[in-house]
Amino acid sequence: MELRRGCLILAVLAELRAEHYGYALRKALASRGMAIDENTLYPLLRRLETQGLLLSEWREEEKRNKRFYRLSPGGRLILDQLLQEWQNINSSLTRIVEGEAWMTES
Amino acid sequence: MDLLNRYLHAVGFWLPKPQQDDIIAELSEDLRSQIEDRAAALGHSLDDDGIAAILTERGHPMLVAGSYLPQRSLIGPALFPAYQFVLKLVILWILTPIFILMVGPATVLSSGNPFLGLAETAWTLLLAAVFSMGIITAIFSILERYPHESTFQWNPRRLPAVAPAQASQPPKIVSRFNAIVEVLAGLFASLLWIGLMWSPHTLRVNGIVIAPTPVWRSFFWPILLVTLASPAAGLFTLLRPRWMRTRACVALGAHAVVLILLGALSNMGPWVRVVAPGVSIAGVANANHWTNVSLSIGFAFAFIGTLVAAVGEARLLARLNPAQTPGPVTVRR
Repeated sequence: MELRRGCLILAVLAELRAEHYGYALRKALASRGMAIDENTLYPLLRRLETQGLLLSEWREEEKRNKRFYRLSPGGRLILDQLLQEWQNINSSLTRIVEGEAWMTES
Repeated sequence: MDLLNRYLHAVGFWLPKPQQDDIIAELSEDLRSQIEDRAAALGHSLDDDGIAAILTERGHPMLVAGSYLPQRSLIGPALFPAYQFVLKLVILWILTPIFILMVGPATVLSSGNPFLGLAETAWTLLLAAVFSMGIITAIFSILERYPHESTFQWNPRRLPAVAPAQASQPPKIVSRFNAIVEVLAGLFASLLWIGLMWSPHTLRVNGIVIAPTPVWRSFFWPILLVTLASPAAGLFTLLRPRWMRTRACVALGAHAVVLILLGALSNMGPWVRVVAPGVSIAGVANANHWTNVSLSIGFAFAFIGTLVAAVGEARLLARLNPAQTPGPVTVRR
């Protein structure tokens, strides 16, 4: 549960390097295998915006008002740090899991 | 779209005013996009059933609104262990013994009907527990919101000392709560016994008088000795938790005396006398007979219970290796 929550934040921040409105962001994430519940996504977007990691603006598109989100400059820095940390953790975990597999085989 | 508007209104009801319009506008846009997508996939516009299905998938309005609100808790995980400890201390260690040993007996003795007295005590205890819980919760929720700098300041040098052997040997668990109850119950029983023998009381229920017979007077000192043994054993546990063998010896001796007393008492009935004005002689004799039969059954149960407790103490004594004595003990909270 905690693992998924952390990964969702990374996925949302990474996807918002390009501007999206909520519904389009949800579809984009789902098409890449990271389906996210609406009741999780929108509160998460608001929280990230409050923390200064995202910027948003209401704009009219296809005759409807939509709220567009994009990564803020601060958010871009945090995303880089998070990705670096995630890669370190991933490498460590891979070594641990592979070591475990090696011990099981021998 | 009437259903959609009703849904949005229902969600808005649970949202804080400053964010209400913004959240509802975004939620509305998302739901409309979803409705359009599904209509496009089906090739026709959605009827009420189709829209209702989408809204049902989205969730109960209150839960949807709740997901936008910050996670809040009255008492957070940092203070919760302390909160739980204080609750347990006040309700289990302070209120309950006071009610069982002081308020309860006083209420029962002053009440005309012992059952009503018991019910009144239980109700008052419940009210006191709920009131205490409310006050403690309020204090901790204030501490949660306005934490003081010193709350989590600590010094490793001020942590309580641990007996050297305690770290290396498996602890023998003795409940501190049980020890406190043992002391209080023993003292109360001793005082009650002295009071009863000093000025013999009678129990009056609806005009029927139940009085102890003189047979009890010959057991005054042995029974007093047994009632005082209980607080002595409890005090050993509290003040000298490492004197496990002494404590077990005192408890075993007390159990042995109780067994002898119960054996002697059960052969010396009748133990109470029932007087019921206005009732026939046969009726009074019947009441006397059955009251004393009930007491003899009570003695039998007490004998079995004491025997079981004595066997438990004897086994504990056997497990305590003299080489380890005085053995370490952990007093469990």
